[in-house]
Amino acid sequence: MNKVMMKAIIKKDLRDIFRTKSLLTTIIIIPIVFSVVFPTVLIGSALLFDLEKVMGADMQKMIGMFLAETKNADVLLETTEQKIVYLFINYLLPSLFLLVPIITASVVAANSFVGEKERRTLESLLFSPVSIKTLFISKTLASFIPSFLVSFISFVLCGLIINGLGYQLFGEIIFPSSNWIALIACLSPMVIFMTVLLNIFISSRVKTYQEAQNIGGIIVLPVVGLIVGQASGLFLVGAQLTLLISAGIMVLNLVLLHRMTKLNDRHVLFENQIH
Amino acid sequence: MKAMIEVKGVSKSFGSQVVLKDVHFTVEPGKIVGLLGPNGAGKTTFIRILNGVIKADAGSISIMGLSPTNHGDEIRAISGIVTESAGLYHQMTGIENLEFFADLYGVSDKNQIPKLLTLFELDGHEQKPVGTYSTGMKKRLALCKALLHNPKILFLDEPTNGLDPDGIKMVLSYLKKYNEETGTTIIICSHVLHQLEPICDSFAFLEERTIIEQGSMSELEATYLTDVIVRIGTDFTPTLKTIVGYPCEHSSGEILVTLPSKEEISTVLRELLKNHQVFSVEIVNNDLESIYFKVRESINR
Repeated sequence: MNKVMMKAIIKKDLRDIFRTKSLLTTIIIIPIVFSVVFPTVLIGSALLFDLEKVMGADMQKMIGMFLAETKNADVLLETTEQKIVYLFINYLLPSLFLLVPIITASVVAANSFVGEKERRTLESLLFSPVSIKTLFISKTLASFIPSFLVSFISFVLCGLIINGLGYQLFGEIIFPSSNWIALIACLSPMVIFMTVLLNIFISSRVKTYQEAQNIGGIIVLPVVGLIVGQASGLFLVGAQLTLLISAGIMVLNLVLLHRMTKLNDRHVLFENQIH
Repeated sequence: MKAMIEVKGVSKSFGSQVVLKDVHFTVEPGKIVGLLGPNGAGKTTFIRILNGVIKADAGSISIMGLSPTNHGDEIRAISGIVTESAGLYHQMTGIENLEFFADLYGVSDKNQIPKLLTLFELDGHEQKPVGTYSTGMKKRLALCKALLHNPKILFLDEPTNGLDPDGIKMVLSYLKKYNEETGTTIIICSHVLHQLEPICDSFAFLEERTIIEQGSMSELEATYLTDVIVRIGTDFTPTLKTIVGYPCEHSSGEILVTLPSKEEISTVLRELLKNHQVFSVEIVNNDLESIYFKVRESINR
């Protein structure tokens, strides 16, 4: 592996992200929606309205059941507002937040190979002395780095809003909980890595960016499933489960990585991509 | 002299479509070789196989003793290529493109980029995005890119496509000069025959998925020119349709004489000069285009 080549490819791809308006818009708007708008609206509503009255007895009962099931409410929850905000922030928002790295990584990585092909520059890369291994690793890093940065910045923003607004409600700092730490430190990087690997793999096989994004969309479906499950209380993802899922994805990533290094030889890539 | 590139019996198919069949090709070091053939003859595929980005189904290839299949990266490190699409990043500036490729090709000489920009008259445009360049400028920048690492072999796929006459003249004369100064072996794919004639040392004709002929201009002339047609500017008006026994056609102020060999030109001129004036003499069927059609004719016969 050649470090100069890797650095050059990563630098070029990062520069490309900042110069492609549609890419840049996606990776700015999505995090703002999930890490700024959602928590602000919820905590703001809790502060402004009397949620206890709005919700009615049945809903309060259900929230009580949810909280009883989680068993790890390390904060004293007295009012209905506190209970709702606590549930939302620690159990529903993490799943929604996971869409930030997934969508960012999908968009950036799908652009990676197919974007080069559509602009007819992949040919120049394959005609250069860059080994396919260096090319794939550089492309993976060039998609991983911005996606992880975006998700980390979103995490910090999210934390500032939750603690800033939530302090008035709880009288103490409630973010980040163990759930969130497991999410940002383990699950998020693993999910980004998986999304990037799958997308690069798909990109190197399909013909258009559109096709790559469509197939890449499959990755979003399990997360949607997770959210639905979360909302209906079927399974509540606690920190241990988050770590367990991260470990599972890590194994999957290793398998993917192993398969990719075997499958992607220059001739196959060239014949699939260049006409 | 040991061949720089030696190709023996190379074939390639994409699915059921045969693209190259039993191709034999040799290039000596330091020569400029024109790879000629109609569109879709397989020229681009052949260049890709030589660079090791596509694998041949059969045959053997040696480039400076290296095989493109097993030593592709080594071959690509000593080769420069200009593809038909130029392969540049349009959202990046000219200089950013060259700096990126300089890193990929391991170029450490910082003076190389400004030197090439000056040489190809791109000074003052290096900070503009390549997307705003004209076709000619993109081609010239692609040439800068291909020459960054002082390659030993230069592959040029239709390098003059999209260039205006001045651009074509400039690029071709520069390539000839570069070849003379550095001894770089150059393979040029083209279907614009008259452009290649003055700069190539030899020609290979790709037809019907294989190289049907290869040789220098004089070798090709010796094989394919069975008769010599000479256009003579003169005040002579033939009464019979012959001159010293050779067929002759007359049109205003000139005659076209068909001779069995070049040596007979003197005989005809001597006869003419006895009583008439001669203003110009030119062989009209020994240009590359005429030879190209002769070669194709001989194969299709």
